[in-house]
Amino acid sequence: MTGDRILAGRGVLVTGGAAGVGRGIALACGVAGAHVVVASRGDNGRAVVDDITGRGGDATWVRCDVTVRDDVTHAVAQAVERAGGLHAVVHNATSNQSSVPHRLEEVTHELWDDHASVSLRGAYHCAQAALPALRVTQGTMIVMTSPAGVEGSATLPLYATVKGALRGFAKGLAREWAPSGITVNVVSPLAFSPAMVNAIAEDPAMEERLNRRVPLGRVGDPETDVGAAVAFLLSPDAGYVTGQTIGIDGGHFMNL
Amino acid sequence: MTVVVLTPGDTGFARDLRAALLDLDVDPVLAEPRTTDRRELRDAFARAKGGAVVHVCGDAAATVPAPLGETGPEEWDRRGERPLREALATFQAAHDHFAAAGGGRLVLVTSTAGISGAASVVPFVAAAEGVRAMAKSAARQWGERSITVNAVLVPLALLAPGAAGVTSFLTPPALGAPATLHDVAAAVRWFTGADSTGITGATVVADGGAVMAP
Repeated sequence: MTGDRILAGRGVLVTGGAAGVGRGIALACGVAGAHVVVASRGDNGRAVVDDITGRGGDATWVRCDVTVRDDVTHAVAQAVERAGGLHAVVHNATSNQSSVPHRLEEVTHELWDDHASVSLRGAYHCAQAALPALRVTQGTMIVMTSPAGVEGSATLPLYATVKGALRGFAKGLAREWAPSGITVNVVSPLAFSPAMVNAIAEDPAMEERLNRRVPLGRVGDPETDVGAAVAFLLSPDAGYVTGQTIGIDGGHFMNL
Repeated sequence: MTVVVLTPGDTGFARDLRAALLDLDVDPVLAEPRTTDRRELRDAFARAKGGAVVHVCGDAAATVPAPLGETGPEEWDRRGERPLREALATFQAAHDHFAAAGGGRLVLVTSTAGISGAASVVPFVAAAEGVRAMAKSAARQWGERSITVNAVLVPLALLAPGAAGVTSFLTPPALGAPATLHDVAAAVRWFTGADSTGITGATVVADGGAVMAP
């Protein structure tokens, strides 16, 4: 390991990597020396690749809808080909409806499937597609959760449900994959996402309220706070960490 | 006496839990057949005049051990996503029934495997922890309607004896003996009774002290 390039020579696939926390993770992994495969449904993943390569890093964009098994299989194949191996998968993609408030009694089949297909079925697709490659590298997988997944949510019950399910998914997989030397963890971030930025634009006092609730006094940065911590978790130095939920949130949530 | 409706009522665990509740002077009713139809469930709850609904997440079909890498899409759905859809339908139907009645008690029973994790039953483990987050969210949203939502977690061996081996890594129960159906029924009765009306969003682990994580 040299300097801060703790991911040098490693291939990292980030789903939902075009914006917000996913973009921050992709950028941080690029800085840390990984070949980053930015997977996104829209073309906006290209801009993230440009940002990474513009800083001297290596990155590839793949169009990937995680609800489509073949898309995920293709993304993994691209990572193996372009990076020379897949060492880590970060499943960050969530439904576009994730931050839209709803009542549990009003949830429709369509809304349920929208949440479940991206977060939960997407995780299943990622795990299945990546397992052969992760066995080769004794790699790692991270799924992104939220405090809502731990303590429920008064405004986003479906988001809470799938994020809670991802915690169970990761703990089960951590036990299942441990004999193969593959680690699986869960990250619960608090950082500026596009949804949060929009919400603050509509309610400028929201940022101050948030800052007051966070022991460290500020909302995190997707790249320098969350991304940097995720890069560490993907590095060999975190090779004995598995099955854990790690809050990267300025101390906002301490109830684990 | 509060009528307690057990759903789905077509499993061995539900029938055994019904018998254990009868022993505790609770009036339990099995909701059969299994369905994800909200209206059917709501009608079943109304017919039973249920003051409480107990939803069980986890049975032999959902906990067939298999590595995730060998779990096809249909099995993934049957063991992982369908249990969540069943829970959602039950929760929504219970909400409708309780809202019309001015309140009620919803109790989720599922496995401690959602907290501890377990190899070879990853889809079910995901469902177990997901439905618990759903229960907490329901508790937060429906408290203002006097609907309480709580969870009782039990050893996987009670829900699906055939899958018990996948949790063999757990430390032995602190109390020595494994949890029994009576222990589970007692926790369920407490959450459906008058002494717990101020409790919602809670999880009680009824396993004799094997799993002690939050």
